Amino acid sequence: MKSKIIILVITAGALFSCDKSKLEPNPQADLPATEAFATAARAQQQVNGMYVMLKTSFFFGSRFVVYGDVRGEDFLNRTNNGVTGLQTWNFSATPATNEVQYVWRDAYACINQCNIVLERIDEAPITDALKSQYKAEARTLRALSYWGLLTLYAKPYADGNGANPGVPLRLTAEYSTGNNSMTRATVAEVYTQILADLNFAETNLPLNNGSAELNTTHAHRNTAIALKTRMLLAMGRNADAITEADKLVPATAPYQAATGVAHRLEPNVASVYAPPYNTLESIFSMPFTTLDLPGTQNGLANYYMPGPVGALDYTLNTAAAGIVSNASWKATDARRAFVGTSGTSTVWRKFPSNPHTDYVPVIRYAEVLLNLAEARVKQTNTVDTRAIDLLNAVHRRSDNTTTYVPGDFATPAALLAQIAIERRIEFLGEGLRNFDIMRNLQPFPPKGTAPVVTPNANAYIWPIPQSELFSNPVAQQNPGY
Amino acid sequence: MRRLLFLCTFLLPVLMALAQSRTITGKITDENGNAIAGATVAVKGTKTAVLTDADGNYSITAEKNATTLVFSYVGKAPDEVSIGNNTVINTSLKAEDNTLQEVVVVGYGTQRKRDLTGNVSKINGEATRNVPVQSFDQALSGRAAGVSVMIPNGVLNNPPVIRVRGISSINLSSFPLVVIDGVPTFVGNVGTASNPTSTGVTAPNNILADINPSDIESFEVLKDAAASAIYGSRASAGVLIITTKKGKQGRAKVNYDGWVGFTKAMNLLDVLNAEEYVTLKNEGLTNIGTPPNGTTRGFYLQTGPDGKTIDTDWYDYIYQTGMSQSHTMNISGASDKTSYYFSFGYTNQEGMLKKNTFKRLAGRMNLDHKVSDRITIGGNFTYSNSSNFAPNSGSLPTQAFNTSGLGRLPLVLAPNVAPYNPDGSYNINIAGNTIGQGANLTALNFTNPVMILDLNKFSAESDRILANVYADIKLLKGLNFRTVFGIDYLNTLSKEFQNPIHGDGTNTLGAAANLQQRFQRQNWQNLLTFERKLGESHSVNLLLGNEQQFTFNEGWGAQRRQVGDSYFDEYQGGYVLIVPSFTSFPNSNFLGESYLVSFFGRLNYDYKKKYFLSLNARRDGYSAFAPGKKYGNFGGASAGWAISQENFFKNSALANVFSSFKLRGSYGQVGNINGIADFASYFLFTSALYGSQSALFYSQAGNTDLTWETSKKTDIGFEAGFLNNRITVDFAYYNNNIDGLVLNDPQSPSKGVAFINTLPTSAATLAGGVVPVNIGRMVNTGFEFTVNTRVVSKKDFTWSSNFNIATLKNEVKELASGNADIFIATSGLERPSIIRVGESIGSFFAVRTNGVNPANGRRIFVYRNGEQVQFDLSSPVATRWTYLDGTTAPRAPDQVSDGVLIGPALPTWSGGWENTFRYQNFDLNILLYFSGGNYVYNGTKAGLRDNRNWNNSTETLNRWQRPGDVTNIPKLVFGDNLSNGSGIVISENVEKGDFLKARNISIGYSLPVSVLQKAKINSFRVYASVQNAFVVTGYTGFDPEVSSNGNNNGSPSVDRNSVPQSRTMTVGVNVGF
Repeated sequence: MKSKIIILVITAGALFSCDKSKLEPNPQADLPATEAFATAARAQQQVNGMYVMLKTSFFFGSRFVVYGDVRGEDFLNRTNNGVTGLQTWNFSATPATNEVQYVWRDAYACINQCNIVLERIDEAPITDALKSQYKAEARTLRALSYWGLLTLYAKPYADGNGANPGVPLRLTAEYSTGNNSMTRATVAEVYTQILADLNFAETNLPLNNGSAELNTTHAHRNTAIALKTRMLLAMGRNADAITEADKLVPATAPYQAATGVAHRLEPNVASVYAPPYNTLESIFSMPFTTLDLPGTQNGLANYYMPGPVGALDYTLNTAAAGIVSNASWKATDARRAFVGTSGTSTVWRKFPSNPHTDYVPVIRYAEVLLNLAEARVKQTNTVDTRAIDLLNAVHRRSDNTTTYVPGDFATPAALLAQIAIERRIEFLGEGLRNFDIMRNLQPFPPKGTAPVVTPNANAYIWPIPQSELFSNPVAQQNPGY
Repeated sequence: MRRLLFLCTFLLPVLMALAQSRTITGKITDENGNAIAGATVAVKGTKTAVLTDADGNYSITAEKNATTLVFSYVGKAPDEVSIGNNTVINTSLKAEDNTLQEVVVVGYGTQRKRDLTGNVSKINGEATRNVPVQSFDQALSGRAAGVSVMIPNGVLNNPPVIRVRGISSINLSSFPLVVIDGVPTFVGNVGTASNPTSTGVTAPNNILADINPSDIESFEVLKDAAASAIYGSRASAGVLIITTKKGKQGRAKVNYDGWVGFTKAMNLLDVLNAEEYVTLKNEGLTNIGTPPNGTTRGFYLQTGPDGKTIDTDWYDYIYQTGMSQSHTMNISGASDKTSYYFSFGYTNQEGMLKKNTFKRLAGRMNLDHKVSDRITIGGNFTYSNSSNFAPNSGSLPTQAFNTSGLGRLPLVLAPNVAPYNPDGSYNINIAGNTIGQGANLTALNFTNPVMILDLNKFSAESDRILANVYADIKLLKGLNFRTVFGIDYLNTLSKEFQNPIHGDGTNTLGAAANLQQRFQRQNWQNLLTFERKLGESHSVNLLLGNEQQFTFNEGWGAQRRQVGDSYFDEYQGGYVLIVPSFTSFPNSNFLGESYLVSFFGRLNYDYKKKYFLSLNARRDGYSAFAPGKKYGNFGGASAGWAISQENFFKNSALANVFSSFKLRGSYGQVGNINGIADFASYFLFTSALYGSQSALFYSQAGNTDLTWETSKKTDIGFEAGFLNNRITVDFAYYNNNIDGLVLNDPQSPSKGVAFINTLPTSAATLAGGVVPVNIGRMVNTGFEFTVNTRVVSKKDFTWSSNFNIATLKNEVKELASGNADIFIATSGLERPSIIRVGESIGSFFAVRTNGVNPANGRRIFVYRNGEQVQFDLSSPVATRWTYLDGTTAPRAPDQVSDGVLIGPALPTWSGGWENTFRYQNFDLNILLYFSGGNYVYNGTKAGLRDNRNWNNSTETLNRWQRPGDVTNIPKLVFGDNLSNGSGIVISENVEKGDFLKARNISIGYSLPVSVLQKAKINSFRVYASVQNAFVVTGYTGFDPEVSSNGNNNGSPSVDRNSVPQSRTMTVGVNVGF
């Protein structure tokens, strides 16, 4: 009888057994949110996380850069592949087009990671100085992300002084459901925020991050200043652009930043694009390693290089409109070394590495020089000699057979045109062409089978993605979509 | 002394009985005169019983006063014979008349079918025994009403799409819970994917193929809540219970089953030959204003080294006649204490696609031993090794648009170029990574499949141990305790090699990846059952149980890149680089665990076998949910009324028609967690690299309110027998109301939460930020009807016919974000499927087209407002879209705003019809499978009419050429990919999906008993069969039975660049010793 009782007790026990600890497991491969800022090292990693999000394949890591070029006239689409930007190239993007949705998604993912850092960095056991520095990095990347969005989804500032709809201005961290609705701030409001962020960054970023690599891959004070020259130029605030640029550019050659990281032009342009990619010219670049590669069908090399390195989605436009045919770009120019051929195609080889570990520039010292040159011409409305000197600095670095002199330019506009051509040569493949056309309210010239697109055409800017309008219908769609 | 007395009083009657006993002998046969071994012969009212020997003979000693012998055998109606003065009693046992006597396996136990109030379909294990499939589930289509089993295509070991009464979820799994010998098992396609239910591996690896189909005794499908609620949170999609074979009373029996078969592709579509291709493509070039000029553009025939025009039939290089074989040997038997079943199986199958093979080695031991009157122990052990090799078929989920997918390549490759150069080397263009141009001047852009087939390798190999042990203890009379511990351990190694010269491996300069995945499950059940008859009328059966299931899974791997030498094609060879697997294979790196704890009970009661009542309840706790949300309660109730047992029925005229009639009904609530991520409720940060620096970013927006999907199931029906149960009918109405569907609630992408950095497969993830929320609702309703008849049952000729049909009406009732439509992408690109409130899930959504304008050959599209516009790629950009009167139309139609709902993608009716004929020693079995009422998106057709450099189907020969031509093929304009539906989903490519398919036809011959006896074997049957003999359909693609998206819930019936179904002819033998 006793044994029966024992068996019954065991049975009863078996019927109610439960391993409570297994009901509340901890993920071992991901970090729960409660742990996210618990140590100094984690705070640093969270900051790095913002850069990861900036560097995604649809953003500054590759495709955003590609779209910035192929909307312009210098490239022709070869593969007719809808996945690799065809609709952006020929201006047929719709609210459902992949890149229209993904660039938006990636930009805001970066913005939210910045906002999370801004909101939670105070929890981390680190010095106040470091907290301020991290916040400054967050605001730098947030500013850059908003700029990226404006260049594609909103009308340029020059069109109505920024009164047109910009993008939703998200400044607080989001973690879960709710807060879906937000209207679009105006372009001017977004630029105001961008400048506020960059001004904060300038004040709180360190002068120097301590190594060439960190100076290239993390923001420091000159990064914020350099970005400001770009923003102010876009806003037509040429005097302010000059003020900012002058912080980095001495009055006369040799041009080298006097404070912070001593930015200058590399003597040989090729070394900017060669390992280790962290020259003094590279103010900010997106790093890649063999363990951190762009994904499939990403990577600039995938778009511009022939097989086996890439898919050669885009070839250089050898028609008259294309920069590769421009007479200013002489055979003696060192930058011609980036032009190659594959079969009957002319191809762009600035980013040739396989695996695709070439760093992708975000901003270089050469841009600061040309931004300053342009701002001076526009501000003074003269054939400004300092502007010509800056143009020569960039041009003669690669082609010392040509020296521009004031006599070459009958009007300030002629000088501006030459600066624009220099930018197309210098920044080819670095994604600035779309920005340069739009901020000057120029039409996109026709190329191949793609049509001309004038500033008042609907296709001049992308639509707001359908995925945003699904859950945020108060965000107003751009005209014509 | 007292003891002695006791002994005497005890022994005396025994001795007396012995003295007065007599021996009776005889032979038991079946209705055909075959001996029945192992039948039980008992003296009625005593414990005396013996078994018949191998020849059906018995000898039993009965007391003098014994009056009756009872003969019984599984599957036969028991027979009672009065002894009288006979010493020899022979009898013939007839097949059990009443199928309601059948025992069916239910959750955590068994029940007589007669007593069932839940809806359970039973499928005999014979159904899968001789069928040339890789996994048993592929052989179940058409077998049971409401159980739809669809084969996605002819790639070997591709998991079938199984739906019990329709789709039961949107984001979680709609695949039924599979329970093997009491232990829930892993299902799905396991390879590079993150969990057993998702996909992404190139060599499909349906892990249900680890079970040898010959080992299966029976399948039971639990369809309604009454039957399945005992499985609580896992039962929403129904439960498929598999019971493996046990040894049967008698001496050891040896069975050998073997077959050999030949597999070919079915219904390949005709494509243009070289001459037609050149003509049509050049016509396209001319029509766009850039005629072939002999220098920079145009398509041209070329002559091969043999002097003949090159005209390549790419099918020849991709498809083959595959040879397959299967051998299974089993030994089984039982004494009164021990039963055993050992089996060994080997199968080696070649698919219709080259380089597509499946191999399995499987061994099984099933043992049960009665230790004492009170204690029985036993267990099952299976080990299997399955290896799957498949080329990139382009036919698995996510693969539809692979540029090297073999489904598409033979359809689109130019026929006027050859796979090899005259010197024997592969004909390729390295810079473009395409096939060599030949004489063509306009660029080609697909890869050379021959080189890729030869050099690239994809495989998935599994080692699997499925085992359980149990002990059964009789505590008190009627009170039983059973404890079962089972494991399911699965190790899978997926391997991939891509050559550096051609195809997808060129970017990496040749790469090999090895990905290791482990899935481990431990399941422990403790069950207490109480069974008692209270008085004459009341029967009670009570079950109390506890189940704990712990599942652990992990995956990792790496890819090595830049192969050092062409000799290497394995991971361990020489390479320059190594990168972690997740760089190239999203989801290959994972680590998770889950724990499910359950407490449950069931009460079955009947009164005089007339009134039946069953109640069950279950409380489940699951680890993935947040504290406070971990537990869910489920349960069901059902009742039955055997009207035919009532006196008024028996005495009425109805009794002459009906041999049995039972009404039943049930209602209950079950849940679904199959597919919930292990840490779904958590807010997570994931690590990443920023160059060489480590980083963390916000990756998962958690939801602490997340909980089970629930399914409220109603089932009302009856079962009836006519003509002494020669005809039985089963009818049911069902309604499954699925609530709290876990949907990815799309967050405004501008919030930037829960970033997922992979190409999305649905609009929900496209939104960029998604949070899983219990927000949707969906209802499945329908009728099921089954008729089983023994049409003829004569001694020499029998004909039985089983027919079943089920209807399904699926309606989505609620969705996230104010019922916003969800567009489901096929392989991340094309979105023909929509989930919309009020419609069937995954219905097709396309821009309406209205044929071809006979005046100018342009495709006519219809705007949302009904206006008709036509497209002409050869016009300037601004005037490509025009109204039919030639005036410029304002815009291109687009799917989101101009799309219309075409119709359901889910079949609204499906079923099967099986006929079995036996004439003397011949047998013939025909299994038909049918399905319809739905549409199929024929995306492959869009490709076959594409006006780029792609080859086309021969129907394009009928293209529009001059005004007045009335045709369905628009004027050919080179580069046009809109008029055919490649660039935009059009109604032209949505077709009716009704079909009837002869799933299996087999004809067999069994050697007669007289011959068998001479040869000293028990049975010998030879047969020939055809799997997928023919299909009757109006569908113009390969086959309307297709699923490019595999088991995906939201995008069924999509045909996008898949390979077709295969037809397999086999011959085989079944031998028993």
